[in-house]
Amino acid sequence: MPEIMDRIREANRAVTTGIDDSAVKHWVTVYIMGKAYRVPADITIMQAMEYAGYRFVRGAGCRAGFCGACATVYRTAGDWRLKTALACQTRVEDGMYLVQIPFTPAEKPAYAIEEEPADGTPLLKYFPELARCVACNTCTKACPQDLEVMDYIQAALRGDLEAITELSFDCIQCGLCAMRCPAEITHYHVAQLARRLYGRSLPVPKHVEERVREIESGVYAEEFERILSLGREEIEELYKKEQREKGGLKSRDASRVTRNG
Amino acid sequence: MPDAKNPSPITHHPSRIPYFPGCALKDQAEAFEESARAAMAALGYELAELPRWNCCGTVYSLATDDLMRHLGPVRNLVRVQELGETRLVTLCAMCYNTLARSSRFVGADPERLERINAFMDEEADYRGGVEVLHLLQLLRDEVGFEEIEAKVKKPLAGVRVAPYYGCMLLRPREVGIDAPDSPEVLEALFSALGAEPLDFPQKAECCGAYQTVSDPEIVRERVREIVSAARRAGAELIATSCPLCQFNLETHQSVAHHPSPITVVYFTQLLALALGVPEDKLGFAGLKFDPRPLLSERELV
Amino acid sequence: MAEKLKLVRGYPEYMLESIEAVQATRAQRLEEGPPPGMSLEEREELLKKYHPDYAPGGKRPLVAGPNKGELAPNEVADLLEAYPLVEPGELELKVDIDVDILILGGGLAGTMAAIWAHTQGVPPDRILLATKLRHGDSNSIMAQGGTQAADKPYDSPVIHFLDALGGGHFTNKPDVLKALVEDAPFIVKWLTELGCLFDRDENGEFVEDWGGGTSRPRMHAARDYTGMEELRVIRDEFRNRGFGLLEFYPAVELLTDPKGRVAGAVLWNMETDEYKVVRAKAVVLATGGFGRLHIRGFPTTNHYGATADGLVLAYRAGAVLRDLDTVQYHPTGAAYPQQIVGLLITEKVRGLGAQVVNREGEAFVYPLEPRDVEAAAIIRECYDREKCLVTPTGLRGVWLDSPMIEELHGEGTIERRLPAMFRMYQRFGIDMRRDPILVFPTLHYQNGGVETDPWGRTNVEGLFVAGEVTGGVHGKNRLMGNSTLDCLVFGRRAGIAAADYVKGKGAPKAVTLDHLKGFVEELRAAGVPEERRSPILLPDYRGKRVLARMIDLL
Repeated sequence: MPEIMDRIREANRAVTTGIDDSAVKHWVTVYIMGKAYRVPADITIMQAMEYAGYRFVRGAGCRAGFCGACATVYRTAGDWRLKTALACQTRVEDGMYLVQIPFTPAEKPAYAIEEEPADGTPLLKYFPELARCVACNTCTKACPQDLEVMDYIQAALRGDLEAITELSFDCIQCGLCAMRCPAEITHYHVAQLARRLYGRSLPVPKHVEERVREIESGVYAEEFERILSLGREEIEELYKKEQREKGGLKSRDASRVTRNG
Repeated sequence: MPDAKNPSPITHHPSRIPYFPGCALKDQAEAFEESARAAMAALGYELAELPRWNCCGTVYSLATDDLMRHLGPVRNLVRVQELGETRLVTLCAMCYNTLARSSRFVGADPERLERINAFMDEEADYRGGVEVLHLLQLLRDEVGFEEIEAKVKKPLAGVRVAPYYGCMLLRPREVGIDAPDSPEVLEALFSALGAEPLDFPQKAECCGAYQTVSDPEIVRERVREIVSAARRAGAELIATSCPLCQFNLETHQSVAHHPSPITVVYFTQLLALALGVPEDKLGFAGLKFDPRPLLSERELV
Repeated sequence: MAEKLKLVRGYPEYMLESIEAVQATRAQRLEEGPPPGMSLEEREELLKKYHPDYAPGGKRPLVAGPNKGELAPNEVADLLEAYPLVEPGELELKVDIDVDILILGGGLAGTMAAIWAHTQGVPPDRILLATKLRHGDSNSIMAQGGTQAADKPYDSPVIHFLDALGGGHFTNKPDVLKALVEDAPFIVKWLTELGCLFDRDENGEFVEDWGGGTSRPRMHAARDYTGMEELRVIRDEFRNRGFGLLEFYPAVELLTDPKGRVAGAVLWNMETDEYKVVRAKAVVLATGGFGRLHIRGFPTTNHYGATADGLVLAYRAGAVLRDLDTVQYHPTGAAYPQQIVGLLITEKVRGLGAQVVNREGEAFVYPLEPRDVEAAAIIRECYDREKCLVTPTGLRGVWLDSPMIEELHGEGTIERRLPAMFRMYQRFGIDMRRDPILVFPTLHYQNGGVETDPWGRTNVEGLFVAGEVTGGVHGKNRLMGNSTLDCLVFGRRAGIAAADYVKGKGAPKAVTLDHLKGFVEELRAAGVPEERRSPILLPDYRGKRVLARMIDLL
């Protein structure tokens, strides 16, 4: 058995430690803040910067496309367009001219959400700059998640919380929209407030309220006491029974599970 | 010409017209939209909301080199183009004004349009040619007041209404839907509905909306003049086509000047009422001064 | 220029034959359903042979500290048996910042602790949250699958308890686990009231899914951005309340008072190298796990900062650890393309019905076994039975048949329920609605950690813990949907307990690093090499060629 673990370690070496040149077949040249570096072709911008010798303090977070720490701005040879990407989710291309955005200075107004009406009116109150939107769509073009950012800002102008929620849900708050906006809007903060307001307009399902009440009033105390007093064998039996009788996916059950289980 | 890249969700039919609501109609002026849609349905037309519309731009930019300000309006015209349609109808006089002027602005100079298209880059170019209409134009020029009169179910007999145009429908001349100083379209409409339209000198003057934030005193003064003139002319109701005018005329009517305020309605509310639209779709409850006591005296509600 | 590998639909051409084999068996697999689950005995046998925790050579007994003699993975032992970055006497310990509660870590647990300590009566300016990267950079924000809470009529906290206990091989600390499952519905309610958007169906009811090892569907998800949605809501709440916040300021050592109680920490500004001495009446440690140590050379799902810092600091201050000998390998990490190797393919994919299938299109394992069992089965398929695919860079993997989800739940389900994953694969030219995706186990979670009671209290006075840095609640294996829940429940509880603890207490009389003295002596006596230092704060992925040419001049 040890040899299996050794083989796994060996196979993963390039992603668990720094890249060794001897393992690289294809190369490209990228320009990191203007300096040229020859880097392996089939890696991400983030991996390429590390290969080139950068050890990130800023500019790296989850490394999986969820946190927005690695917002990157770049151009490619022969193209005037300023492009944006998440460094951890984008393959390097030959001739990329790139820089990371370490921080987005953004004004975030404070509010007590429970004191705000669950409708669109707080949006313009806290973000009056929304009215400066000229629908230039630069934010949408800057979004590395490919969200229709301008459309949700427009929805914010008319207070349509549901539309903002739908359009902005996958926002990772990387800040690229705000950095590119000629109207100096901080889109992602607007969307955050809008989603919370929308969320507050939806009731907590009754069964959740009911279960919280049950637990608080000690409905399960006796059963817990019984379970906690069981010996290892008895509790294993009980576990097996539950798993056998109720557990998991049976044949085509998967299509039903999301409803009532 | 249907756009192959963007197949239209709207079925093309002459009575189904792309419609631009604008922000105000989704917020404090819901009554305007609701009554307009109901009235048009009664006339056999559907106002089909433009997909992915954005704010009209609100204030038309006067600087000729400020192309950025035209992106918003032009983008809405692109949406119409994507549907394979050539017309866009609006309700809000402000939106009408901005969209219609922007449309003419870019239409008048290919270089401007080219620059805007170049800015939008990967998005579809605006090819020009979308006509922006105000609903009153549609009613007058396409539906026809005779047709409307024929469909009236509840004539507004004896209702003395002062049509208030404000400035956005009439000025500047190139986008005005009627004669700037002596418009008649609202009068003609109300006559067709059986009401009694009243003339008053301030009907085409600005309500002062531009000064709402910087100098509300100006607005109050304007409103006092407009409402007093309408009252002197004998009006029971004032009817507008602009959410800003409606808001100002309602909000700034001071009870100090007169103990009984005049109700300010949207013209579409009267249209819908006359066409027999049920009362719950007229949006009267959303107004500050409820017209229903007056209308029920006339047995109209 | 070398010839480029030919890709078809994002995959090397040579994999197409196998993709077709998977397509060919799909209809029948849909009809028959997944293979049956294993008995407890079968599970045991499989784990012993194929799970990295059980395969010899990965662990060693600790030579120093409270858990001396107990097993820990080599990579973790290397950090626990290491000298401090700053030794007593080396720093002037003049207090720079004085607070009631210092929270270390800015994920779900740390953020919850701040909010609930405030709710419990501590003013926000007496609470400081310090974090190594940005507020929110954490494993929490990457949690895709969901949060368990037994809130449906067919379910109960007792059943949730039982599921988690069995999943943890009956090694969980019962009183802590009971707190977890009993608080769960409250947490879901509280988050919803703050505006957190869990998935709902067209009637406004919560959509609740299965997870591996659960006997009832109780997973509350927010698309596949669950942790992100939860975190961004409570982070917004945190920002509204005006707490103290220091980003890029990791703690490099805890401080103790003359009685050995935890009394603050030494923070270090990663950008200027300046240190700050923070005095606090209580410290809440919420620093997360150790995925970036790449235990046994596995790739990881974890965020950049998951380097066991908190574990190291607490251990030196005398905190007892537990269950460090088991590590959670998530059965399905991405194995292809190379750019995303190790990234999480949430269990929700299997919860929605996708089967795990070998090169020949055979479903060889029940898709919702507990994670360790599922992972071991995949390793067996790849390295023993050899019915796997080998990527151009030499990694092995099996298929996760994602198109089954569209077949079972209708077209558009993947984009709607798994938008993050769909987007990720799309970026690399793969359409997971149409083609299966290649997976292999990846290092996911630190099952054990600092031992705690149900209120986040430890054996060291003044030290509270919450989240992945703790041990006990999950025993030796955690179930999906119990980690975000763990952070939320015990972040809250630790915040409340810390607030109660500091009430009426004066500031610590003195702050010292004296607790290090005995520990360092122990290390020297055990012959631990002098150059071994911790915490490491960040992993190092710099290219080998550059490292060989680096000189330190300034």
